[in-house]
Amino acid sequence: MKAWLHSVRVLVWKDLLQEWRSRDILTSMLAFAVLSLFIFNYALELSPINRSEIAPGIVWVVMVFAGTLGLNRSFTAEQDQGCFEGLIMAVPDLSAIYFAKLLTNLLMMVFLAVLVIPIYSILYNQSLFNWAFFGVLALGAWGYSAAGTLISSMTVQTRMRDLLLPVLLFPLLLPVNMAVVKSCGVLLGSVAGQDINGWLNLLLVYDAVVTMLSIMVFEYVIQE
Amino acid sequence: MSYLSILAFALVLFAFVRVLFFTPVEQTMGLVQKVFYFHMSAAWVGMLAFLAAAAFGILYLSRKDLKWDTLTAASVEVGLLFTIICILSGMIWARPIWNTWWTWDPRLTTVTIMAFTYIAFILLRRGVDNPARRARFSAVYAIIGFISVPLTFFSARLLRTIHPVVFGGGETEMNLNAQMVATLFISLAAFTVLYIALLLQRARLMAQQEELNQQMAAVDSDYDWGE
Repeated sequence: MKAWLHSVRVLVWKDLLQEWRSRDILTSMLAFAVLSLFIFNYALELSPINRSEIAPGIVWVVMVFAGTLGLNRSFTAEQDQGCFEGLIMAVPDLSAIYFAKLLTNLLMMVFLAVLVIPIYSILYNQSLFNWAFFGVLALGAWGYSAAGTLISSMTVQTRMRDLLLPVLLFPLLLPVNMAVVKSCGVLLGSVAGQDINGWLNLLLVYDAVVTMLSIMVFEYVIQE
Repeated sequence: MSYLSILAFALVLFAFVRVLFFTPVEQTMGLVQKVFYFHMSAAWVGMLAFLAAAAFGILYLSRKDLKWDTLTAASVEVGLLFTIICILSGMIWARPIWNTWWTWDPRLTTVTIMAFTYIAFILLRRGVDNPARRARFSAVYAIIGFISVPLTFFSARLLRTIHPVVFGGGETEMNLNAQMVATLFISLAAFTVLYIALLLQRARLMAQQEELNQQMAAVDSDYDWGE
């Protein structure tokens, strides 16, 4: 267990350091997210009244779309440099690789949320600073990263690569999308106070089930 | 033509005749309600096929025999076909009853998302050339896709639905008399046999296709290009 935790920590640190040195992915994700916010403004003609109702939907969709940029890159370095074999030999258990990638993707998504929330609040003059809202976004980001890490570890080994990731991933995300948008709507007060426990339970169950299942099948994805 | 296929054909024909001529017309909805028997049977086979695909996927991962991979792929294809039949027949029913071809009801949305999951499965297979890798990825995606189906259906239960419920559904439950219930079960049985027949035919065709590809490749590499 100790060796496992150690290798997860080293792998996360390696990915974050690599990203910090180039900052390719995060800058692209952020630029894409801000551009999407502008596109939504034109596409939906957001008036102050309807904008408060759809804020959680817009923030989540922006995160999901920008997140695919990061997920697509998640395994490309290993694949292109041929260091999967090295990684497989270096870790005590293959689940450490999956878990480390999951954490890296989750950290990127949370970092994206930290940047998108204030930008949205300024551009649309509506404060989204709400810890519960942020917590639900983080839970949603966990489910998103758990499914996304597994799918991107497969798509990176296919002929179509980036093309395939959203097609494979988005149908699996329906429960997360619904739970995040519905419960955030209540938390931000745009939908009259409903009970959100059902949605939060769904989100927790999804996160747990997809993470466990991915850990179980991950070895079949990366080992020949 | 196997005996199973002939049996499936006879059963479906029998169910069809029974639905049309020997089942009473529903009082409020009229003739269009008859689409329901095949609609529900198609929905059932769609679910069954995806459950079977996940089970075949698990078998492949534990046994590493490409036979299970062929069955996984065949089951998804057949299941997708039946799910599309289910969606289209539902639309035919919804047009006169709900006065619209489509509505964003949770039941409709979740079934369609399920169909998209399995369209993605077929795209994934097309993107991988190495048969062993294709088999591993197919198995993994069939399993994770199937796990997301109950979660998706659970999320739909948190929303209000206008879709009728056949068994144990309280106020939206349908009232079927004994003859209608008998017809429903005959259709379900007929479609189940049809599913098994189609699954085996498709799997056999896939295996033959694979064999043909290998022989063509062997001929290609043996061929002396002169000089």
